[in-house]
Amino acid sequence: MKKISLLLAALALVSTASAQKLVIKGSDTLGAKLVPTLAEEYKAKNPGVSFEIAAEGSTTGIAAIIDGTAQIGMSSRRAKTTEVSAAQAKGVTMNPTIVAYDGIAIIVNANSPVKNLTKRQVEQIFAGDITDWSAVGGPAGKISIYTRNTSSGTYSDFKDLAMKKRDYAASSQKMAGNEQITAEVGKNPNGIGYVGLAYIHDAGIKVVSIEGLIPDKASVLSKKYPYARPTFYYTNGEATGEAAKFIEFTLSDEGQKIAEKIGFVSIR
Amino acid sequence: MKFSLLKKSLGFTASLFISSAALLAQDSGPLIDLLVKKGVVSDQEAEVLRVELQKDFAVNSSAGKLNLSSSLSEFKLSGDIRMRHQIETQAPSTATGSSVVTNERVRERFRFRFNGDVLLQKGWGAGFALETGQAADSGNQTFGGAAGSGSGNDDYSIFLARAYVSYNPNLNWSFSAGKFKQPLYTTDLVWDADINPQGLTETYKYFIGAKDTFEIRALQNIMEDRNEATAGLLGRDAWLFAQQAVYTHYFGKDLLNSVILAPGFSKYNQANIGFAANENTFNGATRGLSLMTFAGEVNFANVNGAGTAFKLYWDSAINNDADVRVNEVYGLSATRWKSDRSAWLAGVGYSYGTGKVQGDYSAKLDYRSIGLGSLDVNTSDSDFAFGFLNQAGYKLALSYNVTDFTNFNVTYFHTSDIQKNLTYTLAARDHTQLLQLDLVVKF
Repeated sequence: MKKISLLLAALALVSTASAQKLVIKGSDTLGAKLVPTLAEEYKAKNPGVSFEIAAEGSTTGIAAIIDGTAQIGMSSRRAKTTEVSAAQAKGVTMNPTIVAYDGIAIIVNANSPVKNLTKRQVEQIFAGDITDWSAVGGPAGKISIYTRNTSSGTYSDFKDLAMKKRDYAASSQKMAGNEQITAEVGKNPNGIGYVGLAYIHDAGIKVVSIEGLIPDKASVLSKKYPYARPTFYYTNGEATGEAAKFIEFTLSDEGQKIAEKIGFVSIR
Repeated sequence: MKFSLLKKSLGFTASLFISSAALLAQDSGPLIDLLVKKGVVSDQEAEVLRVELQKDFAVNSSAGKLNLSSSLSEFKLSGDIRMRHQIETQAPSTATGSSVVTNERVRERFRFRFNGDVLLQKGWGAGFALETGQAADSGNQTFGGAAGSGSGNDDYSIFLARAYVSYNPNLNWSFSAGKFKQPLYTTDLVWDADINPQGLTETYKYFIGAKDTFEIRALQNIMEDRNEATAGLLGRDAWLFAQQAVYTHYFGKDLLNSVILAPGFSKYNQANIGFAANENTFNGATRGLSLMTFAGEVNFANVNGAGTAFKLYWDSAINNDADVRVNEVYGLSATRWKSDRSAWLAGVGYSYGTGKVQGDYSAKLDYRSIGLGSLDVNTSDSDFAFGFLNQAGYKLALSYNVTDFTNFNVTYFHTSDIQKNLTYTLAARDHTQLLQLDLVVKF
């Protein structure tokens, strides 16, 4: 009888511990820096809570909500109609919450003389119509394009926002995350890529303006910067329990200050 | 995070959208963006609204339930069902010239076709077509004559009439592989319009300013696969190779008129066909067919007010190897029968509209002559003289659009033999008549 009581007590402990674990999956843009930082701050205030954060792309975050394998899905893009439909079929209600705003910055090697591009030039470069820097005012050299991989929300957002939904150039190289893109562009004098605002201060790169506009708080909030976008948490209906508290923390003044510090634009 | 109140406050706005959600879920993005810009709704409210519209679209519209591949640029489904009343008269030839016995037959027939054509990204495409008939030159079935049984209310089979992959890397080049629509510019003198050749085809189109185009079209048509383990001709695949140049010149007001000139050349490899199942089939050696062809037309638009058109059209074929075809392949005496190497067609047409709108109509009349050694019966029209060689006569085709999607067609063929008393299987008709009354519904 004593053994059974001990076993039950142990099971209760395990179950309490797992109830305090918050599983968050999805966007690398959110999940590589912002959400881990928020999670650390949240844990400091709520010591009983643990986090499992997997930042493998927005598509995986939305899929995790549909499959019920995460409480919060991070996404740098909106859920597609097919995803909302798939969720509906499983009795899942996709519920978006804007976490912060972001601008997709076009980055080149820090030593590149190119400072500004037009929207048309960006489309032509990433679609492979323009293949040499000399066509956009740079020194002769074959352009090396770095993009995110296909599960990335930024990958599809950029196609919508910058490329008129065209395909990326066949020569483009697909990277797993923003940091990989900044690392490659930083090493390659002929490189070009795109990253979220949280990554524009990485070494070896610089941001080019788009028709004179740099992605900053003012241009992103006013939506004048052409590649501005909101970023999201997705939940199954109204978030409850620890997930609701964490989302509330993210949207609080403290959470938004952290977002700004990381490089995002606050929703306020 | 309490969005229930928010949702209620959005109720009025959302109801405006959701009342026609199927339409708006696809198109409301810019409208929602405008509402945000005008300060009517916040970004967060707009996101909730977007998802509500997407959910409504998914649940309440049939389009929302389709999950098509993101690689699709366009997926077109189309088809038609044709009801046909057919009256046939066939008078076999007799060697002696004695009085001919006329065979008459009335058939009620139908044809069902269902097509799917897919445009993918980067110039790729694919497609298929299903139809009721297995013979290459006919999709028809006769009511009460289902294949393999032929009585009662038996059901009919569906066959795959097309299955192809296409690649158009730019405006100039196009390639297809599989079983596809006839790629050559031609008439039913040489190619029955029902035949979908199989193999490979390539087209190069060169634009010469706004008034002229020049195309090279090629077809490598595998007619029959053979097991190469068998020695000689019987083990060799039968291929038809066709090449054609097509020159088009546009002229007149708004360049609506046109002239098309299309010379070509086609030839079989040395092989054997054994299992063709056309209306009037030739199974045997493919040799003795080297066709020089020349087709074309002159179109005059708006000849009698807007929407009317008049055209002259022609087609022709000369078989350079007609002697070999007639004497060696068909086994007919060179002293008794002329090899008659030429086939030709000349016609006039008049139309009102494009044939796609209620009230449109067209009329075409052509005269054609098909010499004994001129054409391949496996490809030529199976309706003209029921596919028999050594026939000359005319075809009258009238069409009227009862609605935008329904046509009533009348087609009449009348033919008679060129060389008399020829009883060879492929040319054994003294004269023929065929009347087809069609009701065609397209979708």
